[in-house]
Amino acid sequence: MTNSPRTAGRINRVLAMLPWVIANPGAHVDEVCRRFGYTHAELAKDLNTVFVCGLPGYGPGDLMDATIDDDEVTVEMADYFSRPLRLTAAEMLGLLASAKGVQSAGLGGESLDRAIRKLEETLIPGGEDSVVVDMPEPPLADVLRTAAVDGVVVRIDHTSIASGKNTIRDIEPWSVFTTLGNWYVSGYCRRVGSERVFRIDRIRTATPTGEQFTPEETGRRATLRYMPGDDDVHATIRLGATAQWVAEYYPVEVVSRRSAGLTIRMAASDPLVIARLLLRLGSDATLVEGAEVGSALDDLRSRILVRYSHTA
Amino acid sequence: MQRVIERILNLLAFLLTVDRPVTASEIRNTVAGYDRDSDAAFHRTFERDKALLRDLGIPIEREATDVFEVEFGYAVDGDRYSLTDPGLSDDERVALALAVQAVGLGGRSYGEEALMKLGGVAANSAGTQLGADLGDQAESVADTFEAISERRILSFEYRGTQRRVRPYGLVHRRGRWYLVARETGRDSVKVFRLDRASAIVQEPGDGAFTRPVDFNPADWVVREPWEAGDQSVTATVLFDPDVAWIARRELGSRAKVTTDPDGSMLAEVEIASPDAFIGWLIGFEDRAEIITPEDLRSRLVALVEGP
Repeated sequence: MTNSPRTAGRINRVLAMLPWVIANPGAHVDEVCRRFGYTHAELAKDLNTVFVCGLPGYGPGDLMDATIDDDEVTVEMADYFSRPLRLTAAEMLGLLASAKGVQSAGLGGESLDRAIRKLEETLIPGGEDSVVVDMPEPPLADVLRTAAVDGVVVRIDHTSIASGKNTIRDIEPWSVFTTLGNWYVSGYCRRVGSERVFRIDRIRTATPTGEQFTPEETGRRATLRYMPGDDDVHATIRLGATAQWVAEYYPVEVVSRRSAGLTIRMAASDPLVIARLLLRLGSDATLVEGAEVGSALDDLRSRILVRYSHTA
Repeated sequence: MQRVIERILNLLAFLLTVDRPVTASEIRNTVAGYDRDSDAAFHRTFERDKALLRDLGIPIEREATDVFEVEFGYAVDGDRYSLTDPGLSDDERVALALAVQAVGLGGRSYGEEALMKLGGVAANSAGTQLGADLGDQAESVADTFEAISERRILSFEYRGTQRRVRPYGLVHRRGRWYLVARETGRDSVKVFRLDRASAIVQEPGDGAFTRPVDFNPADWVVREPWEAGDQSVTATVLFDPDVAWIARRELGSRAKVTTDPDGSMLAEVEIASPDAFIGWLIGFEDRAEIITPEDLRSRLVALVEGP
């Protein structure tokens, strides 16, 4: 049996709260709660615990003194807990990486820049820039974010990654987010009448229409994952040695694993998605089954070859 | 839980004031909360409590109680216990609190715990509209970061081989964490994808190396796949009007572009890996065309023609 994470969390918070309260005697109970994320009841409970702890002997002169009197918080006889505990590596990294992410997205400000400099100087002296977070915000993200905050409908000109087709849609944007290196906007798409997630780098223009919509309850976010549909096309593909990464990178079903290669089955909303992948892989991949993908691949080959048929 | 918390606070108070290594049996006889246990129960409880405190970052060391090194006890190194205060102002704390809310590391926000240790944030900070996730390998990223900040040698398994490196920096780019490091006994800097590294172990010994002055880890991690390679080719590519905007965004400021009145765009791109570049161009289907050099053009045609 181990001590529970909740126990660790409580002790961590007590050890963070005590030095601050000791350094700021008589602080208002509301401020202590705000700084350390306590409710009044939780703070009272932790202070009562502190009150019965202390040094061997455990008599009146040995125990810590912790009180809330007239909404003022005071802890005495606890000098040994007056120094804040150092940060763990995970905590340092969490703080620094978050700050650098926001800075890289261009959403920080002078205060954040100063905070980052101070953290780097104290936490990793001589190793500034040891942690780099690169996630620059793409164009139009700010327009979409502002519209999400204000609850304004946006008309977007969007190019589908799968089919390459252009569509104009009115969307009610919910949130702008980034994960795995791409930026997305989620929202309700009025054209299809349901929630959708769009990659922002495939939105050519975004124009607020001025029409207000009633935002959904906060925190709502369309899930980002491939959702199989009835109209999906399927293909069975044999991957050679250098194309095995495909099985890790895309959601595929492994059909068989032999020394000659890996056979996978994959689905896509448009045959061209798989055709483009096959073309990139060249002789490292063979289409075993999937007539629609096969004809999309033939068509793609001939279109590109027509383009290249003249001498540049 | 209440009794556990009291016992652990008493243990820590004792270790922080006693100023010498104390044996487990002295702790058992002195610190409130341990006295009623049987031998076996005491040892289990004491091990658990020590592990919890160490996980919180408290440096509990095992040391000999006298010069003869017959008996061993436990001590907390006061200097390593305390935080070095970065001296953050209120507005800086608010900026950090907003950042921590906006950017997560695999769902956990260690940043919030860090901010508490730094004295918490007094002002209410309303949530931002940015939601960013830096991946779910929080543990290996944190271990690697610790090795970097303490300058410890790091060893791990990578693509079936055991590696020993001097870790110089961590770079999050294109949605992935990369470790920039120098392999011990070799002269070249290498870039490792952290999600492919396993069994990451920090070797004991702080300050095992120094990072070269003016070393910037970001310079070592390429931005685009075709920038990773050992070739040096300048390609010019013509993009049709309907896809020119996509190409321009993806190429960024590193390509020289000229736009025609009809909206098509000619881009000049430096390439280190022709195959990766051709792979990217296939995504534009027949709406992009390599103009020069001729051999890159034939290479694409040969790929499209197939066997």
